[in-house]
Amino acid sequence: MPEPRPSRHPLDIARVLAQLLFLALFSGLLLWTARGTPLAQRPWLAKLFLATDPLLLAGAALAGTFTVALLWALAVVALSLFAPRAYCGWICPLGTLQDAADKLLFRRCDRSKNAAPRLRQVKYGLLVALLVLALFGVGAYGWFDPISLATRSFGTAVLPMADHAGRSALVAAERAGVPGAAGAYDWAVAHHLLAQDTDLKEGRRSLAATWGWTFTAILLAILLAQGYQRRFWCRNLCPLGALLGLVGSASPLRPRVSAACVRCDRCAKECKMGALEPAAGDMPYRGIVQECILCYACARAMCPVDAIGIRFGSPRPLAPAPGVCPSRRAFLGSAAVGAVLGPALLLDRRSRAKEESSPGAPGLRPPGALEPDGKFQAACARCGACMRVCPTNALHPSGIENGIAGLWTPTFVFRIGYCDYRCAVKADDATGPVNLCAIVCPTGAIAKLTQAEKTAWQIGTAVFDRSRCLPWARGEECLVCEEQCPVAPRAISHETVQTANNDWLALPEDQRYRYEQLEVKRAAEGLTSAEEKELAAMPPKMRLLALPHLLPCRCIGCGVCENVCPLDGASGIRVERLQTGAAPGSGRGKGQGAGPGPRARRGRGGK
Amino acid sequence: MARPLTRREFLRGVGAAACGAALAGCAGGENASAPAGPLRARPHPEAEAWKNRIGLARGFADPAAGVRTAVEKLCGSDGVRTFVREGDLVVVKPNMSWPQPPEMGANVHPDIVAEVVRLCRQAGAREVKVFDNSLASATTCYEASGIASAARAAGAEVVLCARHRFRTVRFDDPRVRNLTEWPLYEDALQADVLVNLAVAKVHNLTHVTLCMKNLMGAQGGDRGKMHQGIHQNLADLNVVVRPTFNILDATRVMIRSGPGGGRAEYVVRADTILAGTSAVTVDAWAADPANLPWPKGHHDLAAVEHVALGAAAGLGTADPGRIEVAA
Repeated sequence: MPEPRPSRHPLDIARVLAQLLFLALFSGLLLWTARGTPLAQRPWLAKLFLATDPLLLAGAALAGTFTVALLWALAVVALSLFAPRAYCGWICPLGTLQDAADKLLFRRCDRSKNAAPRLRQVKYGLLVALLVLALFGVGAYGWFDPISLATRSFGTAVLPMADHAGRSALVAAERAGVPGAAGAYDWAVAHHLLAQDTDLKEGRRSLAATWGWTFTAILLAILLAQGYQRRFWCRNLCPLGALLGLVGSASPLRPRVSAACVRCDRCAKECKMGALEPAAGDMPYRGIVQECILCYACARAMCPVDAIGIRFGSPRPLAPAPGVCPSRRAFLGSAAVGAVLGPALLLDRRSRAKEESSPGAPGLRPPGALEPDGKFQAACARCGACMRVCPTNALHPSGIENGIAGLWTPTFVFRIGYCDYRCAVKADDATGPVNLCAIVCPTGAIAKLTQAEKTAWQIGTAVFDRSRCLPWARGEECLVCEEQCPVAPRAISHETVQTANNDWLALPEDQRYRYEQLEVKRAAEGLTSAEEKELAAMPPKMRLLALPHLLPCRCIGCGVCENVCPLDGASGIRVERLQTGAAPGSGRGKGQGAGPGPRARRGRGGK
Repeated sequence: MARPLTRREFLRGVGAAACGAALAGCAGGENASAPAGPLRARPHPEAEAWKNRIGLARGFADPAAGVRTAVEKLCGSDGVRTFVREGDLVVVKPNMSWPQPPEMGANVHPDIVAEVVRLCRQAGAREVKVFDNSLASATTCYEASGIASAARAAGAEVVLCARHRFRTVRFDDPRVRNLTEWPLYEDALQADVLVNLAVAKVHNLTHVTLCMKNLMGAQGGDRGKMHQGIHQNLADLNVVVRPTFNILDATRVMIRSGPGGGRAEYVVRADTILAGTSAVTVDAWAADPANLPWPKGHHDLAAVEHVALGAAAGLGTADPGRIEVAA
């Protein structure tokens, strides 16, 4: 007969409430700041969780891209000195998600046989390798950092999918004539609960690039790995958890097992972190301070004799207990892996920079991105915050075209969106930052630009593909790229030329011959009025056609032209990394009236 | 007997069904829509008789006064009441496609939109909607142009276009030559009175952009594909989309780098507002270099082919001698 469950420790209940609160805060802020509107006044809202992440601080410090904003992470470090990994148990949204998934999916799943205590050493090795990589300027810590991972998965995969599902449901209801559905749709769009879909060429915010599915799969894998062990990710893989555990090694607050223990082994089976286990020596069981996330589930509820408590006191040995951290050899091995991979990844990046298999794609970074690209990649946390807020959905995670180390760093996909010339410009403020991507960037990998700086920032340079461009390749009129070029004066111009008229070319041979005869006769001796009439009735041999040209000295590579090109598939004009530099005498803004004098063009000049 | 459903199982089932429905919604595609009927917009009873006629206002005190003058010149002291009846749904399509402030001259002046809205409300319109399928982000364009706030203050509902509310319309009028069908915004289709509110600018492809081209803002779909054979396509569009009346804002004219502009010095004052039931006739008058300060040698009236093609389709006149100017 099951005995009635003892009451839970009050801190256990408080922990659950805190988890729910922080998860709501995390996802609410992601959704709310995706609107962009509150960002200019309170940019910290968008990076509350990322800027307080000690792993990003450590990584940036080692990679040489430290910024003061990351010092907020010291608050979490201070918390961890006295409450090691309380962050994991109480705050981390990824941890909360795992707990929720565990409750929903694996409640009746017996995993007590899967203690696998050596697996938990992996996270320390990962942490060491990532930090060594950071020393080489490889920002790989962003791939594994849980906050970065959650921001990326939520902001660029889960929320857009939810947005799309909600939109589809409302649209379907509206089509089916459900009363109120149209009003609900309008309300949701007006309150920015749904992205404004006519703004987006693809209509699926952030999902069009293929990585959204990968991010979802990673998130699902993390949640489903709990079928093997609860909090599998936190126990075995999370580098931030490893860091916080090490920071808190000397904490006086830790799980303690008293002499009253009757060795029933229930705590070892039930602790979601495997932080309680049989020990050798005088104490039968021990709590591992580096693993315990202070969830307080063990206190009261778990132990039949109340021998476990998470308490202050002594002893508090500084060195981790045996078997918690990997051996010194494994540590060195991990560092060596990082030290070998680091230079290899840098070499990979350099060689890919010249690769021709992905024309134009590499290195199209958001305006304000640190230069050179290596520095940007070192500083970027791969959190996808910039992609989430990009108002035209132009920023997407890159694949390996910027080097394997550049995976998931932001890059422009101009066929989906373009870099909005005005972005967050407000009528009443000429000095504030206008690039939303920089406003939300937690690590300063993208610098904030004023409107003057943003509109002069050169992302790349557009290049006509004359084998596709409609006027050049097919003799059809178009000029949509010129029409919508936002630079003033425009970076695309056109010349009007005489070109063969397809209607004339389509005439039967004998009529074409007759036409040419008449032309010759007109030049030589003039035509009779009947002949004039006959000639006028035929389509003229030549016609006027406007051919677009690019003025590289004006182009900032914002990608509007590539975006609006009416060709299906690849555009007839592409933005490429090719830079033109500020050649003397060609500078934009010179002699153009009201502008703030000659503006130096900034960007990834020729690197 | 089977075990009853637990709450958990029930919720699971509901969740799965919701996901399935959402996926089915995705698969259906938001652009799938059956071809709808033609426009509902009611032509003015005198539209045919007045098609060569324009009302012209010049040298007015403020743009709002200019609008009233132009409309009254066109149709007498009744003004907008000539077009709008009690209880009508009026849809105003101003050009607010560009994320630029009013002084750049890329969008219709907000005061003009506000005045048109106010006049329609005074004439008894049940509802006045203002929309444009803008080029850049709609919210940005609506706000930056100053039109959204001005129109709301005047009593209009400002509509953000939703992709699924474009209806594919067959262009089966015999006068249509190129286009076969195109998605148009449902508000433009359902209006009792459709008001076309354009601004005068030079255009890199069509020389000028006036009332006829402004109607592209009612189109959805891939409008880039309008630009191959644009003059005929514009004439075709104007055969199908027939606003009840058109107003052209030439209080200032963009004379360089149109239609995007982007600098205040690309704009010159012209203090002119036109009204007419035929977009073609209004455009024919306005495109004439004799009437508005177009740059010297920029174009002549004959070069603006879509006006001639529209006139050939019987929508108005492209002959300056036949335009009846009420000034």
